Amino acid sequence: MNFEQVIGLEVHCELKTHSKMFSAAPVTFGEDVNTMVNEVDLGMTGTMPVLNKRGVEFAIRVCHALHMEIDELLCFDRKNYYYSDLPKGFQITQDKRPIGRNGYLDIEVDGEVTRVEIERLHMEEDTAKQFHFDDYSLIDYNRAGIPLIEIVTRPNIGNGAQAAAYLEKLRQVFLYTDVSDAKMEEGSMRCDVNISIRPFGSEEFGIRTEIKNLNSISNVQKAIEFEAMRQEKVLIQGGEVKQETRRFDEDSKETVVMRAKGDAVDYKYYTEPNILPIRLDHQWVMQIKDELPMMADERAKLYIEKHGLPQTDANILVASKDISDFYEETIQTCQEYKLVCNWLLGEVQAYLNKENLTIQQTKLTPAYLGKMISFIQDGTISSKQAKKVFECLMSEGKDPEVIIEEKGMKQISDPTTLTNIINEVLDANEQSIQDYAAGKDRAVGFLVGQIMKKTGGQANPKVTNQILIQLLKARVQ
Amino acid sequence: MIQYSIEELHQLFASKAIDPKAYYDELFEEVELQQKRLNAFVTITKEKAYADLKEAHFENLLNGIPYVLKDNYNTKGIKTTASSRMLEDYVPVYNAHVVDLLSKQGVCLVGKASMDELAMGGTNKSALTGPVYNPWDTSRIAGGSSGGSAALVASGVVPFALGSDTGDSIRKPAGFCGIVGFKPTWGRISRYGVIPYASSLDTVGAFTRNVRDMAIVTEAMAGRDNRDMTSSFKEVPHYLENLTDDIKGLKIAVLTSVSDEIRNPEIKANFESIVETLKNLGAIVENVTMPTQLMRTLLPTYTIIANSEATSNHSCLDGIKYGNRQPGKTTDDVMINSRTHGFGDHIKRRFILGNLALATENQERMFRKAQRVRRLIVEELNKIYQDYDIILTPNGGSIAPKVDEAYDDRLSDEYLILENHLSLANFAGTPSLSLPSGFVDGMPIAVNLSGRIFEEQTVLNCAYALENALNFKNQYKREG
Repeated sequence: MNFEQVIGLEVHCELKTHSKMFSAAPVTFGEDVNTMVNEVDLGMTGTMPVLNKRGVEFAIRVCHALHMEIDELLCFDRKNYYYSDLPKGFQITQDKRPIGRNGYLDIEVDGEVTRVEIERLHMEEDTAKQFHFDDYSLIDYNRAGIPLIEIVTRPNIGNGAQAAAYLEKLRQVFLYTDVSDAKMEEGSMRCDVNISIRPFGSEEFGIRTEIKNLNSISNVQKAIEFEAMRQEKVLIQGGEVKQETRRFDEDSKETVVMRAKGDAVDYKYYTEPNILPIRLDHQWVMQIKDELPMMADERAKLYIEKHGLPQTDANILVASKDISDFYEETIQTCQEYKLVCNWLLGEVQAYLNKENLTIQQTKLTPAYLGKMISFIQDGTISSKQAKKVFECLMSEGKDPEVIIEEKGMKQISDPTTLTNIINEVLDANEQSIQDYAAGKDRAVGFLVGQIMKKTGGQANPKVTNQILIQLLKARVQ
Repeated sequence: MIQYSIEELHQLFASKAIDPKAYYDELFEEVELQQKRLNAFVTITKEKAYADLKEAHFENLLNGIPYVLKDNYNTKGIKTTASSRMLEDYVPVYNAHVVDLLSKQGVCLVGKASMDELAMGGTNKSALTGPVYNPWDTSRIAGGSSGGSAALVASGVVPFALGSDTGDSIRKPAGFCGIVGFKPTWGRISRYGVIPYASSLDTVGAFTRNVRDMAIVTEAMAGRDNRDMTSSFKEVPHYLENLTDDIKGLKIAVLTSVSDEIRNPEIKANFESIVETLKNLGAIVENVTMPTQLMRTLLPTYTIIANSEATSNHSCLDGIKYGNRQPGKTTDDVMINSRTHGFGDHIKRRFILGNLALATENQERMFRKAQRVRRLIVEELNKIYQDYDIILTPNGGSIAPKVDEAYDDRLSDEYLILENHLSLANFAGTPSLSLPSGFVDGMPIAVNLSGRIFEEQTVLNCAYALENALNFKNQYKREG
C-alpha cells in the first residue's frame, strides 16, 4: 500500500527585543544565570505584566512577511499549568485571537514550488531553563519572559524535504525581518512536528504523533523520515498508530515515546485580566509594513534584473542576510555589481570559512571593500596587488588607500615616467629589439618582465604594453 | 493618647504643638494594648515607623502620619504574608506601587494588618494568626477580608489604613467597625504589588474615620502607573480641595431591591432616616429597582469569577521560587506538597471550584456564563446611572456577627441579596463608599454610596454632606 504524509509544523522563535515581553528586564544571552531577571520574571505575587511594544512590532513584521491577516485588536490569554519552569503558574499567550492568521510561504524543492499555508502566528513568553540532576534541579530564570512568536502551519506539508525547505525559508524571514538570530542549535528557533500518514487518495487524516526535541533543521527532516517509516510499518503490520508525543533521539536517529496522550493537561485558557484588549493604530501597522526590509526572494530578483547578476550568484548572496546586506552597502560606494559579488562570494567567503568567522566579526567594511574594488577598476592597483591589500583589509581594517600608500603598491601609470623607464630597458636590450624586428613576439614578454623587475612590479601592465609597442615600432623602423 | 484625624495630626506636628517622637512612643504603647485586645497585626514595624519619622518634616498632609497596610501589600524587606502559611516567612524584594507613593509623601508604617487568607473571605477568621476582634465588642468579628486594617482604624491606633476590595472586603468591615471605607474606581489606583485575589475585581482602597481624610488618602494614591496597564491615564482631581457638602439637586437612587430585604427593624428605621436626611440636604431621592432574578445571581456570579481568577493568580505560589517550600522527590512533588501544606482548607475548596469553572469542559456553562451574567448586571446598573448620580443601599442586613457564629459562603435566602450586593460596584468597577449611619445594639451600622466610574468626587461629596449631617465623624472605640 502507498501512503502519503500529512505534516504540520509549530515553530517558536525568540525575539531579540531589548526587554522581555511583559517586564522591563533585559533580554541578553550568555549572561550569568539568574541575573537578567526582576520580580515580574520570577512570578513574585502581586506583579503585573506590561506589554512590550517592540515585541508586538516584531510580530507584525513577521506577519507581514508571511502575508498574514493582522488582528488589530490585541488580546491576550492565560494558559494555566503547573511546571517548575513556569514562574507564574501560567503563560501569557494569545489563544482565541492570534495577531496573525491565514498566511503562506512558497518553498522550492527540486525545482518544484509548493505553497505552505500558515494558520496562525501568536505572541507569548518563554519559560525558564531547567537543569535536572540525579537528586536536584537547577533553574535559570534569565530566559523566563523572553518574547516568543509561535507560527503554526496547516497540515499541508508532504515530506521531510519540504519541511526542511519551509524551515530554511522561515528562518530567512526571521533574519530578514531582523527579529531574531533564529538559531535552532541554541534554541532561539524551535520546531515541533505533527505527523500522520494515510493511504494515497484517502480524505481522512490518520492518527498523528507529535515530535519534540529537534535542534536542527536536518534533524527535523530525519525525524520526519524516520517517523513516517515507523508509522507505515505499524500500519502495514496491521497495528494502530498511537496518539502520543515522541522525541527525536540524536544518537539512534529515531523517535522515541515521551508521553502518551492520556497525560495531556487542560490549560484552562481564559482572557488575561491584567491586559485589557488593545486597539492597534492601523497607520502604525501599515507603517511597519512599509518599513519592512526586502525579503530574500525580492532581493534576488533585484540582483538579477537590475544588477545583472547570474541567478546562481544572486541566490548565494541572499542565502545569508549578512552577506546580502554587506553587498547592498558595498554597492552604495562601488557600482561594479559583478566584481563586488565575486569578491564577496570568492575571497571574502573563503576567508570567513578559513577563519570560521561571520562577516561582522571581521574588520572589513563595505566602504573599504568598495574602495578597493574601485582602485582595481581604475588601474591604481592590479588584481594581484589587490589580494595583498585584501589581506590587510581583513586583518587590520585600514583604509585601502593607506594600505596601498604604506606598501608602496601604487601602479606607475604615468606615460612620461613609463616612457623613460622603458627607454632605459630598451637601451640595455638591443638583442630583444632585433628579435622583435624579426617577428619573435616572445621578445615583448621578456621586455615587460624586465620593466616589471625595474619597477618592482608597479608598472601598470596595460599602459606599459601600449607604450612598449609604440617605442619598439619606432625603433625598428 | 488622643485620636486625631490626618488633618489634625498634621496641624499639631507642623506647628510643633506636640512632639512627634513622644506621640509615637505613646502610639506604640497603644499598639501593644490593642494587639492584645484585637489581634489585628501580623507584623508590627516599630523600627520602620521610627526610621520613617526621622525623615519627616511635616511639609505636607501625609508627612509623618502613622498608617497600617493590609498584609497583602508587598513591602520590600518587610514580611508580607497575606495571612497565609504559604507566605509565612516571605520577605518581598519590591514595594507595591502605592506603598512607594505613600512613602514619598512621608507616611510612617506602623505595621501590617491581618486579613482573611489571601483576601478570600469575609470574616477574617481564616487568617493564619487567628480572628481579628471588633473594637466595639471583642466577642464579634471585625469583618473581612481587610479586618485588621478596619479594626486598627476603628480602635484609633492609626488615622488611616489600606485595604483591598474584591467583593466588599473594605466596605463590609468598615461598616462593622463604624468607620469610612472606600473602594474607588477599578483602574483609578495601581494594583501593582498588591497580592491579588481576582484581578478584574480587585481594587486598592482605604479606611479612615472621616471623609476629608479619605479624600486626602485617595488623592495620594490615585493616578497612572506604568507597571499596571489597567491603571487609568485620567487626570486625578483634587478631591480634598473640591470637597463640598452642598448636594442640592444631586440625584440619588435608593435601590429598593436591596433595602426591601432588610429584616432588622432598627436597621430598616436607620436606613429610612438616612433617606430623609439626604432629602433634607436637598438631594433628589427616588426609588429604583433591579430585576430580582439578576440580584439573586450576584453571589454565584461572583463566586465563579472571583475563584476562577484566584486559582490562576495564586498558581505562582508553588514553593519553587519563594514562600513555604516542602520537600519532595520531584519538582512536581515539591509543588504539590508545598501547596497542600501552605493553604487552608477553605482556600483549597475555592481553588477547586475555580478550576472546575475554568476546565475546558465546564468553562462555557460556568466561567463564561458568569462573565455574561456580569455584563447583564453591569448594563442594568448603568441604566440607573443614566438618571442618577448616586446609588444608595444599606451596607448590610446585620451588625457584626459573633466570632463563633460568623461563616463565609452563606447561601441562605435571607442574605443572598442583602449581604452580597456590595459586589455590584466590583462588577461595574464603580467607586463605592461605606459610611457609618448609626448604632444597633451598641454596634455600628452603615450605608453605602456608589457612583459612576471615575466620579469619586461625587461619591465623596455625598458622603461628606451626609457625614456632616450625622454624628459619627471621627468615632473610635478603645475599651471593650
